[in-house]
Amino acid sequence: MGGLQKKKYERGSVTNYITRNKARKKLRLSLPDFRRLCILKGIYPHEPKHKKKVNKGSTAPRTFYLIKDIRFLLHEPIVGKFRDYKVFVRKLKKAYGKTEWSAVERLRENKPTYKLDHIIKERYPSFIDALRDIDDALCMCFLFSTFARTGKCHVQTIQLCRRLTVEWMNYVVAARALRKVFISIKGIYYQAEVMGQLITWLVPYQFSHDHPTDVDYRVMATFTELYTTLLGFINFRLYHSLNLLYPPKKLSALSASLARMVSSAEEEEAQLDQFPVEGEDMEKLEAREREQKEQEAQKKLFDGLKFFLNREVPRESLAFVIRCFGGEVSWDKSVCIGSTYEVTEETITHHIVDRPNASTQYINRYYIQPQWVYDCINAKIVLPVEDYFLGVTLPPHLSPFVEEKEGDYMPPEKVKIMALQRGEKPEQEDEEEEDEDEDEEEEEDDNDDEEEDEEEDEEESEEKNLKKMEKQRSQGKSLQVKVTPGKMKVENPERLEQEEKAEEKRLAIMMMKKKEKYLYDKIMFGKKRKIREANKLTAKRKAHDDAEKANKKKTRK
Amino acid sequence: MAAARRLKRVVASQPGFLNFKSSSESLSGRRKRVNKNKKKSWNKHSDINDVEEFLEDVRLQERTTGGLLAEKSDDSLFFLDVGQPKRAERKAAEPIEGKKRKGKTPRPLRIDLILQQDSLIPAPKDVLAYQQPNAKKLRRISQKAEQLAAKGVVTRRQKRLLSRRPVTKEAKKSDTEANNNPNRDYYDIWGQEQSTVKDSAEDWYLQQTGKKRVKRPEKLSDRPSVLPAVEVIAPGGSYNPDFFSHQALLKEAHEVEVKKQKEEDKLERQLAVNKDDTATEETVIREQVEGLVEEEEEEDEEEAAHDEEDEDAEGGSSLAKKKTERQRKREKADKIKELRRLDSKRQMDHRQQLFQLRSIKASIKQQEQSTEDKQKIRKANQEAEKSQPRRLGKLKFQAQDLEVQLSDELAGSLRQLKPEGSVLKDRFKSLQKRNLIEPRERAKFKRRHKLKYVEKRAFRAIT
Repeated sequence: MGGLQKKKYERGSVTNYITRNKARKKLRLSLPDFRRLCILKGIYPHEPKHKKKVNKGSTAPRTFYLIKDIRFLLHEPIVGKFRDYKVFVRKLKKAYGKTEWSAVERLRENKPTYKLDHIIKERYPSFIDALRDIDDALCMCFLFSTFARTGKCHVQTIQLCRRLTVEWMNYVVAARALRKVFISIKGIYYQAEVMGQLITWLVPYQFSHDHPTDVDYRVMATFTELYTTLLGFINFRLYHSLNLLYPPKKLSALSASLARMVSSAEEEEAQLDQFPVEGEDMEKLEAREREQKEQEAQKKLFDGLKFFLNREVPRESLAFVIRCFGGEVSWDKSVCIGSTYEVTEETITHHIVDRPNASTQYINRYYIQPQWVYDCINAKIVLPVEDYFLGVTLPPHLSPFVEEKEGDYMPPEKVKIMALQRGEKPEQEDEEEEDEDEDEEEEEDDNDDEEEDEEEDEEESEEKNLKKMEKQRSQGKSLQVKVTPGKMKVENPERLEQEEKAEEKRLAIMMMKKKEKYLYDKIMFGKKRKIREANKLTAKRKAHDDAEKANKKKTRK
Repeated sequence: MAAARRLKRVVASQPGFLNFKSSSESLSGRRKRVNKNKKKSWNKHSDINDVEEFLEDVRLQERTTGGLLAEKSDDSLFFLDVGQPKRAERKAAEPIEGKKRKGKTPRPLRIDLILQQDSLIPAPKDVLAYQQPNAKKLRRISQKAEQLAAKGVVTRRQKRLLSRRPVTKEAKKSDTEANNNPNRDYYDIWGQEQSTVKDSAEDWYLQQTGKKRVKRPEKLSDRPSVLPAVEVIAPGGSYNPDFFSHQALLKEAHEVEVKKQKEEDKLERQLAVNKDDTATEETVIREQVEGLVEEEEEEDEEEAAHDEEDEDAEGGSSLAKKKTERQRKREKADKIKELRRLDSKRQMDHRQQLFQLRSIKASIKQQEQSTEDKQKIRKANQEAEKSQPRRLGKLKFQAQDLEVQLSDELAGSLRQLKPEGSVLKDRFKSLQKRNLIEPRERAKFKRRHKLKYVEKRAFRAIT
């Protein structure tokens, strides 16, 4: 037994990992300092594949870091600053203890500080990398800006966060980058498109604050430190991309006059790039063009409209969102600085109120609830105002982040909105009309059926047809395309085309091999199931609505 | 003393007051001769009440009416009563006296009214308040200064005052250079000209020190998790949700609760004690008596055991004989036969396998299929694990509760909305979920030295 025997745990994956305490000792830092350093530099613990090997035979849960990462940390100049800070704290305590106040003053003035610019440059070498990570940064900054300015975390951090978030919102307004808004019970989700990147962030409500006790504030503060630096640099770059001055002046209440800025932005985006990519079909090109046109149309959604916000509506959110789409906004002077016009302006087109009854005084303006604004943005068109009058039960606020596929259940409100988008006239789907006889009710129900069928027809006609055909084929009958009279009345010429297509499809099915047929049946079964479920849900919804109608009649009578 | 004497005098002058000395002295009529030259004796023996009364009366008149009544004009003291006054006058009088005042000035406080001066004679001026000790000197100095200023002469003192610079309080260096200074500057960190400059800087560094800058390891730029930074809540979490999506969200929350309940039940079941298993007196006695009672049964068992042992013993003796040669030869032949048999069998198998090709193929295919399936499942599991939070420390990741509002908590309007959940906690959990930090709980308060409890002497005496 010589000395050249292989010892256990000396090679392989063990040599790649190091425990947290060992790493800390190597860097000669205290645990909170080590944690802060890891967060700032972006070094995360790893879970090794074979824990037992790495942990030298034991399965105790430990935190492991890669040795290469820790060695990289050794070259970081901030580590020296941390050590200086520790020494500073020690000296300060001594001076306090000896009540040498001049020494305390002197030490305080020369407190060691550090900057994180080089870390940002190292972690995000290009601007696009930084943009990809901005979601997190925005959420944190918005969160911290809503904190109360007590001494729990540095007041300067809160002020800096506030400044950065206002700058960001100003940029989004100037670039008209906002695409989706969703009001949830947690907070308000926004999605914007900046330089091709889709950025989602969450803004909490101003008035909700129960500080949970199991959140580590130091960790959050460290993250915020990093993210404020990152966001500041990104803001700078974004402002320069729009040829705006940074830092912008007079941003206290998003009241900067954006006319000049907006026009410059429009000039830049006026050129539609028509580069045909090789190998792309005409269809795709057309689709892109259509999308761009839609986006352009969406950006001018509220152009020319003038809004006035009442005291009880969330002013910041609405002001931001309305300005993003070209509208003008103002509020009562006593609420906050920066209001441009008063209640008494004649040219106000929409007055946003959230109370059950308003003191309606002015005739040529609509009094609506705030959900109208958000729903318009999500639907990308100006919705009819009737559903959002004061005292009316609002339609549900649908999430724009949900992509419904074919055959999935779509709530009737969404279907209505899509119809409006396509330009069809608004249907008479009022379920709360006052004068109704029972006959009219039945007629309306039929109408509803027809309309729903019409709307869903284009999407589900083929599936429905196929479903019928399969059923009939399985029963061995000859195929007869049977159409209900309601449909026949409205869509005769389209029907023939669809019949032809259905015939072709049927032939193709007949010619399939057994195996392929088997797969096809499986797919169709899955699809049919979805459709059946969707129909079931619509039936349920109808039943629910009918029950509500009946209830309302009962209470009225 | 004078006051006491005066009091005595007043008392004595009351009618019907009997004095000790008076009855005896009034008869004699002879009064003792008093000298009133000194203040003390004059005060004792003279009666100034009438003068005092008169003066008090005069003062009262002046206080209440502002002058002697005799000197006032008739009109100020008397008026001619002509009957009921006119309505207009009444109206003018009422608002001031009435309890409700419609004007904007509030009624004065009672305490203020009490403390006001109600005498018509103004209080005398307090001269001491206007006295300044150095008034003349100061006046002289200021006049001189004015004269000099008029001439344009600047004194030495003034010159020195003016030449002193004003105190400008500079912002602390630590505050301006700190990372979270609210007014800090940002610059273009991704500027284009940096690349060339950086190269030359690096060359210079290499030339001077012979070292290269440390590069950031590439693996650090990988994201630790595939999850997105912000996960939008399901459509049922809208403040005014659609019926079905809200039900779906409620169902999810319900399932989580059901799971928790099931686990609790499982634990309870495991810990539950079956009532039948508890020891009753019967079973206790049986246990204690085991092995002691019922010897007949035991004897039968012993005999049976004995027989078996004998057989075994006989069998054992047969094995002790030696093997004969014949037996050895037979064994060898058997072995060879066996080998040959196996060989032929193998060859037969080989030949037969030709005919079994199809089934062999089928079985191979099946095996391949199963391995493929297993591989797929393993890969799917790996992918699923990537989106799971990894175990990075002592604590496991605890997902936060779904944020859901029950049907009766849903607010109809934005104004009545009560927010659910805390974004701070949500962000914290999201950081843990994406493997950026390890799950931690709040540090408990650990005592360095154990607490000692000592009874007080008095307490020990009682108990």
